[in-house]
Amino acid sequence: MGATGFLNYSRPFIDAAKKVFETMIFTKLEPQKPLIKKDNTSLGDITAFLGIIGDFEKDNIKKSYKAMLVISFSYDTYIKVANAMLMENRTQYSPEISDVGGEICNMIMGSAKRNLVELGYSSNMAVPSIIEGKNHTISYPTSTNVVVIPMNSAYGTIYMELCYKEED
Amino acid sequence: MELKSDLKILVVDDMGTMRKIIKKMLVQLGFNNIHEAQDGSEAWPMIKTHLAEGAPFEFVISDWNMPGMTGIDLLKNVRATAEIHGLPFLMVTAEAEQSNVVTAVQSGVNNYVVKPFSAQTLKEKINTIFSNKK
Repeated sequence: MGATGFLNYSRPFIDAAKKVFETMIFTKLEPQKPLIKKDNTSLGDITAFLGIIGDFEKDNIKKSYKAMLVISFSYDTYIKVANAMLMENRTQYSPEISDVGGEICNMIMGSAKRNLVELGYSSNMAVPSIIEGKNHTISYPTSTNVVVIPMNSAYGTIYMELCYKEED
Repeated sequence: MELKSDLKILVVDDMGTMRKIIKKMLVQLGFNNIHEAQDGSEAWPMIKTHLAEGAPFEFVISDWNMPGMTGIDLLKNVRATAEIHGLPFLMVTAEAEQSNVVTAVQSGVNNYVVKPFSAQTLKEKINTIFSNKK
């Protein structure tokens, strides 16, 4: 997939993330310039991710693909986001709010899915997972480029990452 | 329209975060008799038990995708049980694909709400369900 293809694929996720944050977290996201990620160390302290498999059809040619949606937050940003979403006033991370990131991931994927269909992508989403801890690593699917889209918000920067690979 | 504040509501979702959000939205909307279940397989025995005790649930808000028993299967169980076949049921889904909507309607859902949604949207969905029941 070239840069234009990736831009097309990522746009529904960016639009979905903006919608999720505006509706459920009451803040606007400002997407920044995308970057190619060079390693597998998380840019945040808490990472929610989900795997995606599906088919892409264009000009009567159908291909299978694998992708991954990743959202990483610093502890500070995660707690502020969880507080806004749950209408709470926490000062520390705790397991009670561990599925906030997963639910955000879920909603972004679900919301992106219908726009992906219009672009020719069908997609099945897995159940989201969470990794927590300073400098944790993320296991991306092999042989994929990972694109990071930093998104600024009133609660700090949220890092959305996407990787995508078409099967032969 | 005004619904009674002690309407007995069951919120079903495998994600604690979403249960908490829906519960808080319902409290904001003035409801105070809200129960929770983690998925359909926990919700279904609760629905039957409360029915047997003579205090059945009056409204179910359920997620679609859940391990154990999905929201659709829970809905089918409700619709197949004579005493509660008309129980108002709102389906919550992360996916708004047309095929999902058709499946939900065919299974007898009263209404559905697509995530993300605001308290105002939830209120409108609830009002539509109970207005149509009148």
